[in-house]
Amino acid sequence: MNIWKISLQNIKSKPLYTFLSVFVLVLSITLLLGIQQLKTSFEYQMERNLGGIDMVVGAKGSPLQLVLASVLHLDNPTGNISYQEALKIGKNPMIKSAVPISYGDNYEGYRIVGTTADFGSLYHAELEQGSGVKKSMDVVLGNSVAQHLKLNIGDTILSTHGLVDATVEVHSDKLTIVGILKPTKKVIDRLIITNLQSVWDVHDHKEEHLEESEEHHDGHAHEEHDDSKEITSLLITFRNPRGLVTLPRKINKQVGLQAALPKYELDRLYAYTGVGFKTITAVAYIILIISGIMIFTSLYKMVKERAFDLALLRTYGARNFQLIKIVAYEGFTIAFTAFALGFLFLKIGLKYVFKMMNADDKLYMLQELPYQDLLHTGGSIIILTTVSVLLAIYPILKMDIATILSNEK
Amino acid sequence: MIQTDHLTFQYKKKDTSFSFPDLTLKQNENLLILGKSGIGKTTLLHLIAGLLKPKHGTIRIDAIAINTLSNRQLDKFRGEKIGLVFQKNHAISSLSVLENLQARLYFSKHKIEPSAIDVLLKQLDLHKIQHHKAHQLSEGQLQRLGIASAIIHEPSLILADEPTSNLDDENCKIVIALLIAQAKKTKVNLIVITHDSRIKPFFQNVITL
Repeated sequence: MNIWKISLQNIKSKPLYTFLSVFVLVLSITLLLGIQQLKTSFEYQMERNLGGIDMVVGAKGSPLQLVLASVLHLDNPTGNISYQEALKIGKNPMIKSAVPISYGDNYEGYRIVGTTADFGSLYHAELEQGSGVKKSMDVVLGNSVAQHLKLNIGDTILSTHGLVDATVEVHSDKLTIVGILKPTKKVIDRLIITNLQSVWDVHDHKEEHLEESEEHHDGHAHEEHDDSKEITSLLITFRNPRGLVTLPRKINKQVGLQAALPKYELDRLYAYTGVGFKTITAVAYIILIISGIMIFTSLYKMVKERAFDLALLRTYGARNFQLIKIVAYEGFTIAFTAFALGFLFLKIGLKYVFKMMNADDKLYMLQELPYQDLLHTGGSIIILTTVSVLLAIYPILKMDIATILSNEK
Repeated sequence: MIQTDHLTFQYKKKDTSFSFPDLTLKQNENLLILGKSGIGKTTLLHLIAGLLKPKHGTIRIDAIAINTLSNRQLDKFRGEKIGLVFQKNHAISSLSVLENLQARLYFSKHKIEPSAIDVLLKQLDLHKIQHHKAHQLSEGQLQRLGIASAIIHEPSLILADEPTSNLDDENCKIVIALLIAQAKKTKVNLIVITHDSRIKPFFQNVITL
């Protein structure tokens, strides 16, 4: 027999109340930790998808759109820019690498990106099998594309005009798969990579037949004359962080061009999505406070209703401090049980969520919960429980055993 | 050996004060204190148990003047030397019969052989229900558990506050006989306070407040 045993028996003697306290606390803990872990994972994934790209140059329009389109490959591009202009920008000494990309077609919904050999190195992508793009109409598949469409080296595909799988307008030029990349867990896994020439060739050919439809598709790379080749955008990494300050301003002054900084645009995006995260976090904290009140009520009820039990323990020789320990152990047992359960549910729950999200392409990676967040949530719960216990033990401090035990009222 | 000397008590918030006759009990002696409600019977019992502190006078139990002890020392003294029996609420409701006795031993830091617990449980006919929770027990079973809790740690004084008031004639006899028998067996003093005159014949020493 010890204090712990008495606390545990107290908990067991009111299963419903204990269950409710633990349940509500688990709910808030799961929400709090879950939202943190999702946010971390989401932002980490975004950061990864940026690769080494510090700046993207494209046609004038929304800078966020430019980033979403050319870096994360989620949106339509703002338009095209001159390849000659792009090459000129790339010569700036502050720039380490400038990778041109040109796209406008898809195969089964996966984007076909015309670019140079440097594109893969932005994402540290390596070939799993086959070789790199050597000539026009060669393509290398991102790992998810190959997995999902079950394509192998030597297979040929026909590209579709546009960026979504609508199968309205199929190009007649066959693209041949010459290589497949290793998985990178970055956006490149979902892309089909070819060289710039392929994109120009496909559309050069197309122009002869389908002139009128071209007007409707911005962001479409096409070639009119050799010296007026166009690309969609230019992905830039800096040699020197000073470039971040001076170059965007310089480029934005040029007619038809804009420079967008992916990190800055993403931060802007987070500011919007952050509202959602903040709301859920606030709700979780409210539930946390409610569960604190429940723990307090449970303990306070025990202290009040079982005043005779506690007084009896005093006649057994228990000190006041030992009675306080009984109450404190009870509160902390509930809190720690809930914390452990919440943590467990989170692990299982998020794994399941990510499994569903990754059904198509294994792009999303669950990030470990930052230990600061764990510490923060754990700390909040310890403070909450301590306050509940301190409030609940007040009657013990004021307790008059003689009166409680007295029959003469 | 219990001795009280010029004992008076006053409640903090009330004007009523009590003064009590001097008591002297030699080893193995029992005492019945009779009195009407409100006369301060329970107060006297609580003074002797160290739950209340007297205004004046001294209380000596086994040569210890308990009115001079600190609160901490009183807790310890109570745990070791006193066994209290009440009219109702005899046990910790969330604990089983056995756990109640173990808790009693734990807080008084008194160690006995596990077999001694068995013997006591059998004597009080509690061994078959030793794993039942206190809140599941009948009034008679609870009263017996209360007595078991009061003697398991081998105190030098058993104090019983209206132990029979809630009981019918038959159970009244059983309980008081049990208390006296247990006191005799463990050679301790027993003080019973009550307004229940049915138990008067069981005692040689009787004082009326």
